Amino acid sequence: MEATIDSLLLGFSVAFRPDVLLYAFLGCVVGTLVGMLPGIGPLAGISILLPVTFGLDATKAIIMLAGIYYGSQYGGSTTSILMRIPGEAASVMTCIDGYAMAQKGRAGAALCIAAVGSFIAGTFGVIALTVIAPPLGAFALRFGPPEYAALLVVGLIFLAYMSSTSLSRTLLMAAFGLLLGCIGIDVMTGHFRYAFDIPDLGDGIGIVPVAVGLFGLGEILSTPSRNITAKVTAPRFAELLPTRREWRESAMPIARGTVLGFIVGIVPGSAHIISSFLSYALEKRISKHPEEFGKGAVAGVAGPESANNAASTGAFVPMLALGLPTGPVTAVLMAALLIHGVPPGPQLVTEHPQVFWGFIASMYVGNLMLLALNLPLVGMFVNVLRIPYAYLYPLIIMFCIIGVYEVNHSIIDVWIMLAMGVVGYLLRKFDFDPAPLVLGLVIAPTFEMSLRQSLIMSNGAWTIFFERPISAGLMVVSAGLLVLSAVSFLMKRKDWRDKLAQAEASEPR
Amino acid sequence: MAARPDDERSGRRVILRRDHIAGGVFVAAGLLVLAMSGDLPFGTLASPGAGMMPKLLLGLMIAFGAIIVARASEGPPLAEIPWNDFTHAATVVAAAAVAIALYTKIGFVLSVTLLLFVLLYFIERRALWRALAVSVGVTVGSYLLFSTLLKSPLPPMPLWY
Repeated sequence: MEATIDSLLLGFSVAFRPDVLLYAFLGCVVGTLVGMLPGIGPLAGISILLPVTFGLDATKAIIMLAGIYYGSQYGGSTTSILMRIPGEAASVMTCIDGYAMAQKGRAGAALCIAAVGSFIAGTFGVIALTVIAPPLGAFALRFGPPEYAALLVVGLIFLAYMSSTSLSRTLLMAAFGLLLGCIGIDVMTGHFRYAFDIPDLGDGIGIVPVAVGLFGLGEILSTPSRNITAKVTAPRFAELLPTRREWRESAMPIARGTVLGFIVGIVPGSAHIISSFLSYALEKRISKHPEEFGKGAVAGVAGPESANNAASTGAFVPMLALGLPTGPVTAVLMAALLIHGVPPGPQLVTEHPQVFWGFIASMYVGNLMLLALNLPLVGMFVNVLRIPYAYLYPLIIMFCIIGVYEVNHSIIDVWIMLAMGVVGYLLRKFDFDPAPLVLGLVIAPTFEMSLRQSLIMSNGAWTIFFERPISAGLMVVSAGLLVLSAVSFLMKRKDWRDKLAQAEASEPR
Repeated sequence: MAARPDDERSGRRVILRRDHIAGGVFVAAGLLVLAMSGDLPFGTLASPGAGMMPKLLLGLMIAFGAIIVARASEGPPLAEIPWNDFTHAATVVAAAAVAIALYTKIGFVLSVTLLLFVLLYFIERRALWRALAVSVGVTVGSYLLFSTLLKSPLPPMPLWY
């Protein structure tokens, strides 16, 4: 414990440097804006701004990009409460009761509860991350290729199991992403795979063009501008304070949402979206007045908003400790670390303590910044929502092009981004979730290398995955999840995932 | 909707559903790429070749695509997919494609100004002067921001070489 505190102090010495504070602040501001604006989520925001961090060192880069991620969870609630449009996907559940509170003239109170809940959840998440990540990383040092291959299989199957689309759809997307990750030179044999004599494809398809295309451009193509209205009224500062009754009603939902969100966040999948849904369902289930849900229940705002913030922090645990991305956002953050020459995983704590602890300490500071940004300055941020979408989306397209081109100065990457935008548009039309595709693309090199090394180690025996205790345990978890999915399918039982899909489909975008 | 003659004779109508296309496209694409993968050696389990992973993944892709087709009757009919945003999406893609094609040839400022102007004036029907001012202002501002402040130069116009 003493060692943890010493390390955390080292982190704070990094996080309180004025230049690092500036980049944390920039990340929080951009994250709040990204969360508020419909049409760009945290993934698109991080991907577009990734090239901007190339001139920075790894610590500042990851602090700024992570600030965008957890800042977007704060910002998303503003649009949901004031306009009933989820600024980003995790805010879908906040739309229901947050907007109903706004209709009753309690918009300020709803914003305040959302911000305070987010702050408590975010801070709890960082404390838990501080405690859990280093020992988990130390444990993961025992992992060899079979363990890593098994861990990535579990991650993909968990993602498929947690997804609101069907298991086969999610695994199909993951396989497609893994296949895209095979493009380029095979590092073990030197073979060119699917490069079609295009030299730029020799290094493979980049994560940034795919992520920006699918989530940035693809979202814009699916959002016709005439559907976006910008009728919004900013609450006055004096209206922001909830009543004593509202504070009382929000206390326990914040506590429950925080714990639930963090646990869900560690599990692979679109954790921040799932956690807010589960928290809403839990609050409604245990409420003494379930009939108030949908009509402005305070718990319907406090629970989901706390849960999605705790989940976004929880998602950093497997990313930092195991090098396992739990979703597309952490996948792109991992890519950012790799670009800066810092591989996330068990060795991160020992080999790059300044990056690891500086990043964790910056999250404590970032949560404070976001509380300050999202309460007194909400009136100023709301003005951004008044920019007509017709002006906003051309600018986003411009930043998509700049962002992708600047990574490698390759026009092929920009064409890939455009193609992926069209693919993303079509995938949405046919009810595919593009997130597993990005995840597959990110883990493809590690997965292939681990799988092939495992087979070489065992002289071709697949049983190696069941002979070593850790990988055997992970394979049993995978099998269990597949059995659970099969049972759910055979029983034709509708569970929370179907309800989540319905909730996502019924909310305006 | 599409109906096969046999089904019409037997009084049944087969409705083409969303997942017939969704799964079918992946099965077809998987088979096509598999056919193109002949030069990639699979190797053996003890010594996996460059083609092992892609071929396994293609097999999975085809299998999952086939499952989606097999369960297509549970999904909505193809005709129910809303395409009301298609024209907007297609024009945005076309405008972006032209801008990307010109990006390194005529430089960032000209190609992106053109892109923004087309999107604002022709697609979004904004006033001429406002569309022009926003296009030029935003593009030049971004160019200066990236080339001076962020030290990450964007493609210059040919005359600037």
